[in-house]
Amino acid sequence: MHIPDGFIDPKFSGGLAGVAALALGYCFARVRQMATAVVPQEALAAIGKGVHSLKTGSSRMLTAFGESLILKMGMVASLIFAAQMFNFPIAEGTSGHFLGGVLAAVLLGPFAGSLALAAVVIIQSLFFADGGFLALGANLVNMALIGTFLSYYIYALLKQKLPEELSIGLAAWLSVVLAASACALEIGLSGTFDLLATFLAMFKVHAVIGLAEVLITLGLIKVAGGYFEKNSSI
Amino acid sequence: MRKIVLFSILIVILAAFFASSSPDGLEKVAEKLGFIGKGAESRSILTDYSLPFLKSGPVNTAAAGVVGVGLILATFLGIKSMCRGAGRSGR
Repeated sequence: MHIPDGFIDPKFSGGLAGVAALALGYCFARVRQMATAVVPQEALAAIGKGVHSLKTGSSRMLTAFGESLILKMGMVASLIFAAQMFNFPIAEGTSGHFLGGVLAAVLLGPFAGSLALAAVVIIQSLFFADGGFLALGANLVNMALIGTFLSYYIYALLKQKLPEELSIGLAAWLSVVLAASACALEIGLSGTFDLLATFLAMFKVHAVIGLAEVLITLGLIKVAGGYFEKNSSI
Repeated sequence: MRKIVLFSILIVILAAFFASSSPDGLEKVAEKLGFIGKGAESRSILTDYSLPFLKSGPVNTAAAGVVGVGLILATFLGIKSMCRGAGRSGR
């Protein structure tokens, strides 16, 4: 799923990087809002903080909830990074690996979840050359925005009608197939190969990889979700 | 926190020894359709999940994976301290 350099027009991917930066910046703003609380300056002064500031007004402070949310993001991201390393065979000479978008979305919500996936994708690209640097924009759009952010809303929509686990499973399968389709679309639009042929081939392989995604997502939600429930403040 | 981190490291070690080395979905499609050659080789410090200057192999991959988990945790601990010092934003 990680697009290497050369498959995508760098100009196109640059545009997608802009889209990703905007969307992830918004996610960061939302997480910051969730994780901090506005504290009046006088209250800070009373505990000896913020007295250096001559400005009257208020400051944002990380709340206890915020602190555990950010630590939880780190844990989910490291779990996804680790699980993505585990390529499993799906057919003769073909392997697939976990994406983790729906896992992040369910455990963290759309904003924190997308940021967790983005951190994984960026670190893979920068340090491991897994996913080209010039293709980073496309990879972020596919995995953090489509695979996580969009998939969260698919999951939430399904959950209105279907039981929890079925919704998670369907969303997990769709997240892989949609991310792979977007990948095919980007390759096709870049003129690297015929769009329809790429799409059909990508769909066929990832329809199978998506089945594994369902099982791994449900399994990890059992393990990690159970852990987070027991340790609500980490 | 410690349990999840240890669990991640366990997965990294298992992956280093038992993961399939076959091309993944996208690479396979590129091979089959014949555009794999358009891919450019990218390099970085930990290319192919192995530490530089050392013999590649499962132990090396596991070590590189543990470094990766550390990088991710460090990122979020950094974000945490950024948010903590977030002051003076008023409204």
